[in-house]
Amino acid sequence: MPGFPSFRLTQEEVIFCITVVLIGAFSLFLPKFLTAGNILTLLNNVATLGILAVGMALVVVGRGIDLTMIAVMVIGVAFSIWLSANGLPFGWALVVGGLLVIMVGIGTGTLVAVADVPPIFATLGLASVVYGAGRIVFKSDVVYAPTGYDWFTFLGTGTIAGIPVSVCAAALLAGLVALFLRKTRFGRFIYATGDNPFAARTIGLPTRPVIISQYAASAFIAFLSGILMCAVVSGINTRLYNSTLIYDVLLVVVLGGIGLSGGQGGVRNVIVGTILVGVLTNGMTILNVSFTAQNLIKGVILLAALAIDAVLNPRDEQTSQSGDI
Amino acid sequence: MQPILEIRNGSKLFGKIPAFQEVDFAVSPGEVHAILGENGAGKSTLTKVLAGVYKLTSGEMLLNGVPVRLSTPAEGLQNGIVMVYQETNLVPSMTVAQNIYLGEEKTFNRLRGLYIQARQFLAGMGFQVDPTAQVAQLGAAQKQMVEIARAVHHKAKVIIFDEPTATLTPEEKRHFFNLIRRLVADGVAIIFISHALEEALQLADRITILRDGRLVASDVKAAFTRETIVQAMVGRNLTETLHGDHGRTARPYGERVLSVENLSSGTMVRNTSFSIFAGQVTGVFGLVGAGRTEMMRVVAGGLKRDIFHGGEINYCGKSVRYRVPRKAVRDGIVYVTEDRKFDGFFETMTVAENLQLGELSRFSNPLSIISMAQAKELARQWASRLQLRSINEKARVIELSGGNQQKVVIARSLIQKPKLVIFDEPTRGVDVGAIVEIHQFINGLADQGLAVVVISSYLPEVLALSDRILVAKRGKIVEEIKASDATEQQIMYAAVH
Repeated sequence: MPGFPSFRLTQEEVIFCITVVLIGAFSLFLPKFLTAGNILTLLNNVATLGILAVGMALVVVGRGIDLTMIAVMVIGVAFSIWLSANGLPFGWALVVGGLLVIMVGIGTGTLVAVADVPPIFATLGLASVVYGAGRIVFKSDVVYAPTGYDWFTFLGTGTIAGIPVSVCAAALLAGLVALFLRKTRFGRFIYATGDNPFAARTIGLPTRPVIISQYAASAFIAFLSGILMCAVVSGINTRLYNSTLIYDVLLVVVLGGIGLSGGQGGVRNVIVGTILVGVLTNGMTILNVSFTAQNLIKGVILLAALAIDAVLNPRDEQTSQSGDI
Repeated sequence: MQPILEIRNGSKLFGKIPAFQEVDFAVSPGEVHAILGENGAGKSTLTKVLAGVYKLTSGEMLLNGVPVRLSTPAEGLQNGIVMVYQETNLVPSMTVAQNIYLGEEKTFNRLRGLYIQARQFLAGMGFQVDPTAQVAQLGAAQKQMVEIARAVHHKAKVIIFDEPTATLTPEEKRHFFNLIRRLVADGVAIIFISHALEEALQLADRITILRDGRLVASDVKAAFTRETIVQAMVGRNLTETLHGDHGRTARPYGERVLSVENLSSGTMVRNTSFSIFAGQVTGVFGLVGAGRTEMMRVVAGGLKRDIFHGGEINYCGKSVRYRVPRKAVRDGIVYVTEDRKFDGFFETMTVAENLQLGELSRFSNPLSIISMAQAKELARQWASRLQLRSINEKARVIELSGGNQQKVVIARSLIQKPKLVIFDEPTRGVDVGAIVEIHQFINGLADQGLAVVVISSYLPEVLALSDRILVAKRGKIVEEIKASDATEQQIMYAAVH
């Protein structure tokens, strides 16, 4: 191809470079930054965010977006806790909660795939529905996890070879999803549907099942991250739904270089994005930057990453049609 | 009389591909000038140049004898040249009056005043359209009236119509013709593109015929008959292409793979019947809008919200009705799209990944592990079979040339192991060398015993490939011709009448 740059830096690589530079700078100027304890805290802090972002990535790769994740997370977990408070063993309560959450995901997917509702509206609407329905049942904002389950305490506070369980869980999930996306038939179908849904349909891929299962998976992953969060802080605050958490999740996904137009990126991008957000938050917290200023800086970095990407990888016009003759 | 609008020795190239070359064209006030030609003859581009949508690559354009260079449709409009497109250019959510006066709203726009003004204006032209009606609610003919009213309001001296009657009923058509006559009486020059020869002969004062981007004939109507027009439109070395591919005998009929009876769907497929046989190529010819693609997509389950109005599709001895392509593909019907960028290939993926999807689509276990090495092997095999030249293994399909992209799409379809392959415009936007290779490949498929359908708007392609030719018109297969007996004139005649 004439005029094709031989050297291309993807957005993922840009973010990776920024992260490395930030880590270097923080290590130099903040003596407390590069200690094993701080790195583990850093990872522990972003484990939940990372899991949510993995779920979101699964949907975004398929040219969708799932704004129900936080609502599903808080309500799913709160519902399970409510069930166990009403006599069901906590483990079974979580299983029932998980099934319910998957049903919600199937509902979202059906709205998108069958009723052709644009994903952003379908999930925005369903988020309110799920949260509203949940809040009718649980009157209080904060629902506390039942005590006396050793495995649950271990999930929240235990360590495996010195690494917090939540970090291990996030890593395990990321690995599984990466394997699923890269190596299985269905993973390829997700990429194909995200790249060109019309072509996917024409060549006979099961586009509807693909879309529906994506939303089911993202809902279930949101639920898993909720369980983890609940284990760490021994309760769940349903007010999280009103926080900016969902935007943080999107930030991680987009920052990592998964285009919202679908078909691109993968779990690796999520990891890079999550680590950048983690490093940034951690460093700024040590520097005592206020929460508001932190959000501002995160926003600026997101915009900068997108702008740099747009400059480095301009849209392909070479294949645009030569006109209707 | 001095022509109002004239092109002298004009050519228009898109990149290196000429849309039309060295064309002389002129229209005088009070004259109706029809431009005829096959699909792709350059008619649309010519009129778009006249309207200021495109600029001439070479040659000059004169308005009232003075050279002009129009670079936007707005400039054309200022000079009194208006183009009425096949797809009307009205704002559907606005009312008739708002559309007529679009772009000249005052700061304080009073609708009531606008409606009164519009009512008088429309009545003055004898149009029966309610100025307060929303355009989205109007029929095709009324929309056209609004377009014409807008043109007249802009003091149009030249009005260009692209296929004005394609969507009209006979009654509406009569009304439209009256309108044209009234405009002509007022000294407006009319240019129109049409596929319907009768209309041209009925309405036009002058007729210009284009073929492959070149002017073949331009004269007053009296100089033409229907036969001479058809001959001029088709023209190419008639004696040579009489029997399609010379020296090739038509393949015998194989097993009847597909039979369609009285199929109706939506507005594009109307009560059509045809059969497709194994081991031969069936060409489907028709002009744009004849419903060829729709017929075949119904068979392959590809139409999204199709409205099935009845009929019977028999495939391999059983009655079928596919609602999604997936089922059809599983049963061995693949459709190779006419617009590969829209629903043909996956642009961010490599050739191997694209081809792999064809293989993956044949099986259902969602969690089975895939192998990239296998995909690359697949790509290597098909690359040599189809002479597919990719830049390198990592190149994304979007970076390839049109011909190679088309080969990727074709290879992917064949990996799905079809029994019936439907090629829709298989060589559109494909370079000349690749056209030959794709044609040879398609012939090879029929030799191997597959049932092959080729939809094409290009007569030489239909003749070169087909053993049997179906001619479609207005949603229906109207004629079946043996390729060995077919002439271009015969096929064209069936398609336009």
